[in-house]
Amino acid sequence: MTELRDSFITGTGVFLPGAPVPNDRMEQFIGCIGGRTSSVGHRALRWNGIDTRHYALTPQGDILHTGASMSAAAVLAALDDAGLGRESLQFLATATTQGDYLVPGHASAVHGELGGGALELASFQSVCAASFMAAKSAHLAVRAGETDCAAVVASEFSSRWFRPSFYEGTALIDAKGRLAMEADFLRWTLSDGAGAVVVEPKPRPGQRSLRIEWIDLTSLAGRFDPCMWAGATAALRGDMINAWSHQGPRAAHEAGAIALLQDFALLKIVIRAWIGVYLEKVDTGRIVPEEVDWLLCHYSARSLREEIVSLLVNTRAMIPETKWFTTLRTTGNVGSASIWLMLDAFLKSDSAKIGDRILCIVPESGRAMVGFMMLEVA
Amino acid sequence: MSLAERSSPQEIAAADVLRKLAIVWTEFEGRLEATPLIRKLTRGRFELADYHAFLVNMRQQVKDGSLWMSRAASSIGEEYLELRSSLMNHAVTEHRDFRMLETDYVASGGRLETILNGKKNVGSEALSSWMFHQASQPNPFGLLGAMFIIEGLGSIKAIEWGKLVQTRLGLPKEALKFLLYHGENDAEHMEEFAEMLRMVLPDEAVAERIVMCARVTARLYVMQIEEIAA
Repeated sequence: MTELRDSFITGTGVFLPGAPVPNDRMEQFIGCIGGRTSSVGHRALRWNGIDTRHYALTPQGDILHTGASMSAAAVLAALDDAGLGRESLQFLATATTQGDYLVPGHASAVHGELGGGALELASFQSVCAASFMAAKSAHLAVRAGETDCAAVVASEFSSRWFRPSFYEGTALIDAKGRLAMEADFLRWTLSDGAGAVVVEPKPRPGQRSLRIEWIDLTSLAGRFDPCMWAGATAALRGDMINAWSHQGPRAAHEAGAIALLQDFALLKIVIRAWIGVYLEKVDTGRIVPEEVDWLLCHYSARSLREEIVSLLVNTRAMIPETKWFTTLRTTGNVGSASIWLMLDAFLKSDSAKIGDRILCIVPESGRAMVGFMMLEVA
Repeated sequence: MSLAERSSPQEIAAADVLRKLAIVWTEFEGRLEATPLIRKLTRGRFELADYHAFLVNMRQQVKDGSLWMSRAASSIGEEYLELRSSLMNHAVTEHRDFRMLETDYVASGGRLETILNGKKNVGSEALSSWMFHQASQPNPFGLLGAMFIIEGLGSIKAIEWGKLVQTRLGLPKEALKFLLYHGENDAEHMEEFAEMLRMVLPDEAVAERIVMCARVTARLYVMQIEEIAA
């Protein structure tokens, strides 16, 4: 039996469409539902702390890029950063929340955009943690000696789902013409872009690489109902018999079952469940907070409520905010792509020293999932 | 608290236990979420009969809460007087809480004698018996683990459930006092509990007992909720 090899991230790349869009111009891009300004926007922005984001469409609704084209651009940028080209690529793992087509998988669309010869593909669809599913697939493929050059890419084109036509004429709008909070909040939270990394069995000579120590994913879907979802109404989402496709697309749309929705009461419980998984990793020694030099978390430290911070401090599990690195404020929340956007910006900030350990955390509210990745600067 | 105090053996032991308790708690919340009664509540299928069944079932066990706490206080040796005081205070604060369940029941249209004559369900029987058994042991520090679970229900779950019940059933506040009255989940609460832990730690056997007691209490509590059917 062949021995397992190490795996290293040797390049990172991002693609952010268009110019940064400030808070006061958001509605020009995602539109106003029923012609009226949202009353949820300010509250959502205060909570998520985002100042600017990018959109892959114009104020007129014209599509500038696709999920596949943004992914391909990020893959090429990551390969270039690793000193490689498209011809070196053997294995491609993609992640997204909702791809351009319903069928076939997003990885096929990205390969189509990239062009060129044969690749092995892995196509992951979830929410934010899809990024780590793809990363783990590439990491294991490299470790097992199945491939010498893998790319992991995650992309989101959320804004297209936020246009008025996804809500108007549905039960999500009340008698006064207001869009339900569980739908509107996400419109002020998510935006577009793609991020990629290249994974190889050796560090790149003469340049900093990141050894992947481990990637862990924990799903608690067996206990929790969907928390952020599309495909059923809030009231009926507990039972898959109510999936949108069973009613047909028109009836499902009218019922408000197509739009992306979030249950905020459940989110509070799910946040505690994530913290529980993290504390368990601290308790078993998988994560030793004092040995973490940098924390890249797809969640803002400022959004953690006081009692959660107090719990982390009291259980000696808090990683001080000075070690947190994020790009949330400027790149926005780009779902599965966010962690790669952060990692790319972190490496380019030149903060990492040889031997530093970087903990990446990606919580996914979709149905109570959380992923962890430990990297060491080599 | 200074950094030096934070890294005292006592502080480290308390933090370790608190971490394990927080893990037990989140596991507990997941299990609660998957019980038939809470599923009804979160999936919009909760009816007045469910609320009444909840109140009747809870009353029989809540009534025992301050009793086992008082018994536990009387089992604590004089070298731990501070902890004994804490428990006695807790018992006094809570020993009339079950009356609230009765008034909630009546205010939401139930008959007083029905709730007064209610019986403990299988889970409540197991939970109460376990608590009294623990409370009768000399220096029953394991019960701090049970308190962590029970207190968490009061400070975290009660208000969440109360708001959901209010939304679903449109009941007036007078019919939801037990769920809505309980305290806020604040940082102060956690600090007070950590203080109690520091009174009995470091002690490996005690630490282990506290966590085990929390796990058993959590499982029996889930059983109690599972047994509630309208």
